[in-house]
Amino acid sequence: MSGYAGKILRVNLTNRKIKTIATKKYAKWVGGHGMGSAIFFDLVKDKSIDGFDPANIVTLMTSPLSGTLTPAGAARTEMQGIGVQSIPIGWFTRSNFGGRFSSMLKYAGWDGIVVEGRADEPVWLDIRNDAVSVRNCRDLALWGTDTWQCQQQIWKYVAGKQMFGDWLEPAGRDGGQTTQRPAVLAIGPAGENLSRMACLIHDASSSAGQGGFGAVWGAKRLKAISVIGTGSIRVHNPQALMQARLWQQKNYAFKLDNLKRKYMSVDFQSPPVPGTLYRRGKPWIGKRPQACIGCHSGCRGRYADGIGNEATCFTTTFYPFADSLGIQRQACDLLNRNGLNAAEMLWGELYIRDLNRAGILGPGKEIDCPLNFGSYGQLAFAEQLVQAITYRNDGRGNEHRFGDDLAEGFVRAADKWGRLDGAHGDLQTGRLMFPIWGLPRHKEARSQLDWAYGTILGDRDINEHGFDQLRSNPTYNKRWGIPLYGSAEEVVKIYTDKMVPFQGDRRMLDFSDANMYSEHIAKLVTWHRYYSRFWKQSVQFCDWRWPDFLNLYGPGKVGSTGIAEPKFLNAVTGYNFSFLNGIELGRKIWNLDHAIWTLQGRHRDMVQFADYLYTQPSFTFDGHTEYMPGIENGKWRYIKVLGRHFDKSKFEEFKTRFYRLQAWDTRSGYPTRKTLESLDMGYVADELEKEGRLGRA
Amino acid sequence: MNYPKEREKANGNEKISRRRFLKVTGTIIFVVGAGSYVPAKKSYSKPVTTDAHRDAIPPSNGYLLVDIRKCQGCTSCMLACTLVHEGVENPSLSRIQIIQNPFKSFPDDVTIEQCRQCVDPVCVQACPADALQANAKYGNVRMVDRTKCIGCGDCTEACPYTPSRTVVALDENFNEDFKARKCDLCANTPYHWDVAGGGPDGKQACVEVCPVGAIEFTKEIPAQKGDEGYKVNLRGTPWWGLGYTKG
Repeated sequence: MSGYAGKILRVNLTNRKIKTIATKKYAKWVGGHGMGSAIFFDLVKDKSIDGFDPANIVTLMTSPLSGTLTPAGAARTEMQGIGVQSIPIGWFTRSNFGGRFSSMLKYAGWDGIVVEGRADEPVWLDIRNDAVSVRNCRDLALWGTDTWQCQQQIWKYVAGKQMFGDWLEPAGRDGGQTTQRPAVLAIGPAGENLSRMACLIHDASSSAGQGGFGAVWGAKRLKAISVIGTGSIRVHNPQALMQARLWQQKNYAFKLDNLKRKYMSVDFQSPPVPGTLYRRGKPWIGKRPQACIGCHSGCRGRYADGIGNEATCFTTTFYPFADSLGIQRQACDLLNRNGLNAAEMLWGELYIRDLNRAGILGPGKEIDCPLNFGSYGQLAFAEQLVQAITYRNDGRGNEHRFGDDLAEGFVRAADKWGRLDGAHGDLQTGRLMFPIWGLPRHKEARSQLDWAYGTILGDRDINEHGFDQLRSNPTYNKRWGIPLYGSAEEVVKIYTDKMVPFQGDRRMLDFSDANMYSEHIAKLVTWHRYYSRFWKQSVQFCDWRWPDFLNLYGPGKVGSTGIAEPKFLNAVTGYNFSFLNGIELGRKIWNLDHAIWTLQGRHRDMVQFADYLYTQPSFTFDGHTEYMPGIENGKWRYIKVLGRHFDKSKFEEFKTRFYRLQAWDTRSGYPTRKTLESLDMGYVADELEKEGRLGRA
Repeated sequence: MNYPKEREKANGNEKISRRRFLKVTGTIIFVVGAGSYVPAKKSYSKPVTTDAHRDAIPPSNGYLLVDIRKCQGCTSCMLACTLVHEGVENPSLSRIQIIQNPFKSFPDDVTIEQCRQCVDPVCVQACPADALQANAKYGNVRMVDRTKCIGCGDCTEACPYTPSRTVVALDENFNEDFKARKCDLCANTPYHWDVAGGGPDGKQACVEVCPVGAIEFTKEIPAQKGDEGYKVNLRGTPWWGLGYTKG
């Protein structure tokens, strides 16, 4: 099996038994998410259990492309299991991180890891090629360390006296050698203390942020997984892979001597510039771009002062009203070291700031809060907040219910404080910006419909940027004068021509009010689900670089998506996959996920946004409007999409259209036997039927 | 399986290798000059015994230069290296090594360690099987003939740099025996992607694949003393234009 190590590691923490699963048993799912969902379905008999239940499993899956020369497609790890962050149900969900963990796992000889059970004391997993040990944390005093300390202590333990940079024989003399340090994925104290917003950190800031998996690991008493490998990944056609890489790089990647843009963009053509979003701009000090394994264009940075190393995106938005850029950068590191989800922390911090300013929250106020708002803007405030949530106390080591409340997540805390009650509850007014499944806001849902519908019809903030340029490019063109990629009509054509099997339906990208609930938008969401589930989350092309729809280096601005993805997959594996084959397998994986959510208790009636998305007009914080392509007066333009809200009854009509397109029961949203059997998943239909959750045809 | 060297040690016949000697004494002698032709023995330390007939090694016609401040740490060079040489992906077999520490500050967080194709190649001199030689067919690049290599690791021990630039590992093409590999500027690459092939007059995988241009090929002999000849500044206006400092 070229591209595969051939086996998946299965670790039962309860009895500390280690087994292997033959990868070929799940090879039809190709890798990543597909394999993870299939394994979850097989191993978790009762899908309705809570995420903290020891019977919950966590899978960490690689792809056949992990550790290969595929550009922006060799470094992601897909983690799945029942999460603890969303409400009303902790959905079976996913999180994904980059860096070098998945490649190292493959070099060690494993295509993935399945963790089940709960250890009797805190442990960590030590993987050195085939040698796998469940080790007690107490030997290295790991429990209680932050994520960076934990990783470096494990490095020291595995490397022994070997100096940094020299060859190391981690698995003994005949086990091969490496100059690399182990790839470690660790929880911080927040995960140990079961905060529902706890995440996992690898290296400085590669984060598996969503789902509260840090707390799931904490409940399993699993502090870290360390892996170091010295083996080879077989490649079916090495020349074809090298040629594909150079072809992709030559025709579609940035050129230093011909830069089309000088800023980071979330697409393949972007130059290597750290994707930081600090409110006060970028740090103008010595730095380098830093890339995941095999990536052509790094999106992170490392800095001369070592602060904020590798932090990007949401992590760099936390604490926006810090007094200085330096403080905001240090606040990033606080999140990474304690292991906290940055998106939840961003919007949560702004929420309590707002409540404090309104006189509702503070020492002795209606919501008794021990935070010292007198130090707001200074690092001390961020530290106290982070400590309070991490340790469930007042942020200074003293017991206090405030930290305990927040550790459960901001929506649960607001509920406990009575802030969600009545017609003026904080999710009715939009004061608490956690719009879908109790999860924090990301893109403006009422503008970016692919994002909003993908999230509400799925399990988490999709965090998939495939269509984000349709908003960011025209919006920043109007705001800052950056050049447009093309006219709305031209761009829409380039995108939709690639969206098989719906190619050519231009109105899939018509974001006008009139088209918000249409069959066209249902197709857009459908295509996005299928593409992401397979090419992005199973084959694991990076979200920030793929799909490559529009590319200023490409012929006629046409990017490589549709050609490139199967080119790399086939070169590595020897498969004969077409792009459409991948979309079809994405459909199958999406159906399996939906079946699991149905078994967890999902019904179409639950599929609702927070109330404020139906009543409050959309807005941006800087007051500028947003533009997206749409048809206005019969012509394609970049139209204003802010100021609108969803209509509840029309959204119901949209759901019906979407369910019909999936061939699910439109009354309940349940999958049907006919559909599942057509996807060779009759066994899934059997389980749904047993649980009384099979849709009617 | 043990290295033959280990077996030798077990028999009590251990010789002091050059690398070990240099580590102990801290003495490294460089005799250099652009275009210079260096009789090997002149710079070779006493404790190492070499065959008398290998007394003149012509310089290589090609060298790799790197910019450790420009490197983005993607390790694409390592992946390309093993892909074209071995047909697999395996950083442990790569002839060029990127070593990084995400918790350190720039520029100390990353280094690139490539074979220097030394003008005074102690690895060549240390090989007891004549397997490591300057290959005239490929511009005198220092190359390993794996059919001759006995996997003793003497070349690794002799290399004065950390990590050693020769890589000794099990080789499935040779009955899982230990065999040495080292940078040959892609001269001997069974999986080379280009019909023109590699070597000093061809294309080197790491140079071609590096997305930021942090590796460069030159035919000029770099200054041999210290790192300055090999670790160079390949940044320029476009790089600075992306917000990176000149320093």
